[in-house]
Amino acid sequence: MGKLSVNLGGLELKNPIMTASGTYGYANEFDEFIDVSKIGAIVTKAISLYPRAGNKHIRITETEAGMINSIGLENVGIEKFIEVKIPELKQNNINYIMNIAGSTIDEYVQVAKKCENEKIKAIELNVSCPNVKSGCLEFGTDENSLYELVSAVRAVYSGFLIIKLTPNVTSIEKLGIAAEKAGANAVSAINTLKGTSIKLELINGKYKKTIVQGGYSGKGIKPVAINAVSRLYKVINIPIIGIGGIETLDDVLEFFAAGAEAVQIGTSNFTHPDTAERLVEELDEYINKSGFKSLDELKKELRA
Amino acid sequence: MKKIYKAKVNKIEKVSSSSYFIEIECENPVWVEAGQFISIYCNGLTLRRPFSVYSNNDGKIGILFKERGKGTKYIKSLKVGDDIDIAGPFGNSFDIKNKKALLIGAGIGAAPISYLKTKLDNENIENCFIAGFLNKDEIPKGMEIDKICTDDGSFGEKGSVLNYIGVIIHEYKPEVIYACGPHIVLKIISELGEKYGIETQVAMEKVMACGIGVCRGCVIDIKKDGKIINATVCKDGPVFKGNEVVWES
Repeated sequence: MGKLSVNLGGLELKNPIMTASGTYGYANEFDEFIDVSKIGAIVTKAISLYPRAGNKHIRITETEAGMINSIGLENVGIEKFIEVKIPELKQNNINYIMNIAGSTIDEYVQVAKKCENEKIKAIELNVSCPNVKSGCLEFGTDENSLYELVSAVRAVYSGFLIIKLTPNVTSIEKLGIAAEKAGANAVSAINTLKGTSIKLELINGKYKKTIVQGGYSGKGIKPVAINAVSRLYKVINIPIIGIGGIETLDDVLEFFAAGAEAVQIGTSNFTHPDTAERLVEELDEYINKSGFKSLDELKKELRA
Repeated sequence: MKKIYKAKVNKIEKVSSSSYFIEIECENPVWVEAGQFISIYCNGLTLRRPFSVYSNNDGKIGILFKERGKGTKYIKSLKVGDDIDIAGPFGNSFDIKNKKALLIGAGIGAAPISYLKTKLDNENIENCFIAGFLNKDEIPKGMEIDKICTDDGSFGEKGSVLNYIGVIIHEYKPEVIYACGPHIVLKIISELGEKYGIETQVAMEKVMACGIGVCRGCVIDIKKDGKIINATVCKDGPVFKGNEVVWES
């Protein structure tokens, strides 16, 4: 393994740069822009037991420092993912983590069983989608429900299990601890923040309002994410994957300093579709130039 | 070839009272089909802005835009020789048929239709291009249009293009209609096409994030094989058959 390699305690990545669920498709879609196989891992769009059509109405809007989405977990479902996308991932030598969403524990468990059968080596549970009215968000906000869910998935899935935590809680520590106790191998933080955008247009004396409610992401959420990672780092012993507004190498280093072992790039994939590949190159160059022997040594210095 | 380019502004000029033409030159020529779009990174803004292509001379990409918000304000501020970050071309294109064609463009929607006209002319396909604008000052200079309508009657026929389509269909007898413009215009054109049994192809618009179909942010409902399914404007479109779109009222 190279200088940038990272071992999350059961999951080896060639570098710590991943792409976040929902921003990168299922497999090789970004090959229009970059060589996807160079990235540490892509996290697939959230996949559910059955295909989902997602939400109606306006699904995205830009905000001052990011965007709000209300896609509603539109996806092809697990069967089609296994049939069509996994061969594409393998053929292109792409390291992937499958993101899973469900409304009931049983749905998560059924999908996790299929992942076990397919020998999918890592999954990330979306327990906190702000755009789905079912029970999904409940798992992410209540530590007892989360413990129950993670334990149930753990019982049927032996691969690397990541729990993606929501910032829309009073104490993210409690959720991180519950995930760890239930047998998760890592947590990723953070999912999107709940946000609402109201755009006003005055037409003939009346306001036309365009309201989009959903998950807020982008550079504006970075301090919230770093806060969450720092707090989790103090209380849990499993690795943390940092997510939230990452665009530059400095952002990546700040997340390492806060305690993240790896990071995911989300919204920035839309702004600059080559962000992940660029960050891998810049991190490599930075380590070479600054004289650190390895990524671990760099992280140690950043946290000293 | 990867679809992201560091490019330069080759030309930028005001071409009507509210619209601007910008021509972008990439390191290597980029070839674009009529109906396809590019996306432009606008300094500091999260979402790239999509624009249908208006011209493609010598592999340079020309677009026509109006200042509508922060993104277009930034593009308007660019000068000849400035760097510009573009990606594309994205999306499908008009499915050019060797059939007598009626081309309809409303407002800034005339841009991709004008580009389609040059393609049809090059292939010697008979066509008639009708475009509608608010008034005569809004007509982009240099755009070759067969029939112009203005809402206030200051040039050509008075009123919306929609007022004339029925008559033109009867007189000109097109075998296919290609259109771009506001949602309501495309809806009515599609309905007329169905009524008269003429194929319609419409170029749609929607706020986009990724531009390549992955984020599912720009979906519309379309009818396919008796079912209603999601289609992304950015990848499955932007050109759809008018009779396949489920039109919102």
